[in-house]
Amino acid sequence: MGEVILTMKDIDKSFPGVHALDHVNFEVKRGEVHALMGENGAGKSTLMKVLTGIYQKDSGSITYKGKEVEFHNTREAQDAGVVIVHQELNMVGDLTVAQNIFIGREPKKGFRIDDKKMIEDSRKLFRELNIEIDPREKMHNLTVGKQQMCEIAKAISHKAEVIIFDEPSAALTEKEIADLFVIIRDLREKGLGIVYISHRMDEIKVITDRVTVMRDGGYVGTLITAESSKEDIINMMVGRVIYEDPKQHSMVAPDAPVVLKVEHLNAGKMVQDVSFELRKGEILGFSGLMGAGRTETARALFGADPKQSGKISIMGKDGQLREVTINSPQDAVKYGIGYLSEDRRRYGCVVQKSCIENTTLATMEQYTSGLLINSAKEKEVTEKYIKELATKTPSADQLVVNLSGGNQQKVVIAKWLTRDSDILIFDEPTRGIDVGAKNEIYKLMNKLAAEGKSIIMISSEMTEVLRMSDRIIIMCEGKVTGNIDISEATQENIMNKATRNID
Amino acid sequence: MEKLKQNPIVKKLGLNRILLVGILIVMFVVFRAVLGSKFPIVDSIKSTLNYVYFLGFLSLGVTFVIATGGIDFSIGPVMFCCALISGYCMTSYGVPCALAMVICILVGLCFGVFNGWLVSYMSVPPFIVSMASMNIAKGLASVFTKTQSVSWPLGSDPENGWFRNIVSYNGFPTGLVIFLLFAVLCGIILYRTKPGRYILCLGSNSEAVRLSGVNTKKWRMLSYIICGTMAGIAALFFVATYTTVQPGYGDQYNNEAIAGCVMGGTSMVGGLASIGGTVIGVCIISLLQQGIMAFGLGKGQQMIITGIIVIVAVYADVSARRRKN
Repeated sequence: MGEVILTMKDIDKSFPGVHALDHVNFEVKRGEVHALMGENGAGKSTLMKVLTGIYQKDSGSITYKGKEVEFHNTREAQDAGVVIVHQELNMVGDLTVAQNIFIGREPKKGFRIDDKKMIEDSRKLFRELNIEIDPREKMHNLTVGKQQMCEIAKAISHKAEVIIFDEPSAALTEKEIADLFVIIRDLREKGLGIVYISHRMDEIKVITDRVTVMRDGGYVGTLITAESSKEDIINMMVGRVIYEDPKQHSMVAPDAPVVLKVEHLNAGKMVQDVSFELRKGEILGFSGLMGAGRTETARALFGADPKQSGKISIMGKDGQLREVTINSPQDAVKYGIGYLSEDRRRYGCVVQKSCIENTTLATMEQYTSGLLINSAKEKEVTEKYIKELATKTPSADQLVVNLSGGNQQKVVIAKWLTRDSDILIFDEPTRGIDVGAKNEIYKLMNKLAAEGKSIIMISSEMTEVLRMSDRIIIMCEGKVTGNIDISEATQENIMNKATRNID
Repeated sequence: MEKLKQNPIVKKLGLNRILLVGILIVMFVVFRAVLGSKFPIVDSIKSTLNYVYFLGFLSLGVTFVIATGGIDFSIGPVMFCCALISGYCMTSYGVPCALAMVICILVGLCFGVFNGWLVSYMSVPPFIVSMASMNIAKGLASVFTKTQSVSWPLGSDPENGWFRNIVSYNGFPTGLVIFLLFAVLCGIILYRTKPGRYILCLGSNSEAVRLSGVNTKKWRMLSYIICGTMAGIAALFFVATYTTVQPGYGDQYNNEAIAGCVMGGTSMVGGLASIGGTVIGVCIISLLQQGIMAFGLGKGQQMIITGIIVIVAVYADVSARRRKN
């Protein structure tokens, strides 16, 4: 390990309703791989976004190569040599690999773009990294793993001195991860500072030199990886929060009827011949890697996106399973399905409107007496749910934008409960929600299931899947690759199935 | 300022609206002080009101469209098209006045249906739809009337002169009463009914509303239908005041109506709308037109000033939102 190349000191950052970073410290040395760990919502990504200029810090200082710096956007950070390889890949699918790598700084020959040089330079980069990718290939033809390699190549081409990997392995197969590690070790040899964000303890032990742990937006501490055990790190991450163990066996009654049956559902590239059953009172976990087609399946089922074929049957009020046609969210809602999107601010709630308006959005007709809206009744019902779900809001009139993620989620849950929906699709129910509120959402989901609601839960967090589900469907590249009871589920066999189609 | 905002009366009426009324009064006083007898009090109020009537209906209508996050640049020419087609039916085909009035509103409604259908069911951007239908409205009126101007009956007309009572009856400003009634009605629709709620919510986040199982297409279309119908009603007030309409005109009223609406606090990005604000905004725009004319300035200057007002009002809205975020 060489000298310190980057120091972040006392970094503080707030968003409305959330204190995202609370005086966090972090440093990277040349020639080290420094892991940044913490639960979802601990503030790792936010810290890196502050570093690379996507967010501006409220206070604190960043010292890079001995000078205090402040990047105002990713471009400035890149030019200085601080590059992030994002969790979500930022590539333009219709452009070629070479065009993506050199986007915004294409080599010129007079007024024209010098394609030859661009392709040649890309080849050189890939050779350096020992990657086999054709620079002339269109980006969308590559697997997620290959796309990630391109991101890395792009980062290197920026003459990066600090590279941040934000959960690079989340979407990769084991072989791809091994390839990635070879590249990372190589970069370390070359004296680059590397930040490695991941949830996977095994990887951390294998690839990193030091570990910094964050929790609830705060700095917990830094350890030397070789000198610390898994347990040390976990204890630092988990802190006061005691995690429940995984569910041992299904809570669903053996004779519980099927309330939803999906057969041979096809919708675009991401949903291929998907079939599954959901039973009354069941929490059905949907596991898989990023881009496995879980959200797409949910959206197609809900009528939010068009589907090509497939049969959907839903249990009616009389207890009979009947085939239904769902062409729009309207149809789905009519049959008692509620969908809670992974992206609440965009698809979940109307953030610029009040809790009342959001709670009653799906059930307006219940509040109209004659032509006019009965505001008193609206308010009464909303307040009832605020109390029941323990939503933290100063009043029912508060705009949803001012609530924290967990409370926004509760408002959306209230919306579907007023509708008396029997089938609820929770898409990443705790994404962007802090640890305390997370537990509340879990409790709520368990309570709903116990009351006889049926829940489809899409989740990328293994602990969440193992803790909540009665049964687990695993998807990979648009296909169902596994359907296992919770009693048989382990991280390993889920991972195996989630990567089955790849390679 | 903060203290003032917390005052219950101010809170109820809205600081914004109180300020607008202040502007209105100050403008009037300034015009009177500077222009003196060239700005006679009673006549000026009368002519301002005459302008408020037709512009107010346009503005109320377009408030619904802007609340959804859309825009309608066709309302001025559509208003003229309504007046021309129905007036021509009356003068050239002997259609009775009452029926012509119904036709007038129906033409507006049809334009609303056309615009709304294209925007919400065909997903054509509102900007393009309304630009195109502005041309269609102008062209249709020209073709229908063979490019002649059309005059509606004068008040002295024994048979059909009665229709002017919608503006004033023996000196009583019926127009004002009707306009305010419609404003109240629009307010009720927007804030107290299901369609209004949906229109405001979908202007704020259309996808979230759709995923709540609401037929957003239908409600978005409704906003355009309301807008078109209001243009038809505006046309009646226009001819009841100014008698004659000429094909090929009407564009300037788009800007004026939108200016009144935005000035009143309706946000161009959708989701927020103020009917009360629109009413006051329209009064300010109308008074301004009278002032400009009293100053002896022409149409050109009038258009420049309205253009600037639109930009300033929209900029104020955008920057207020940015500060909030």
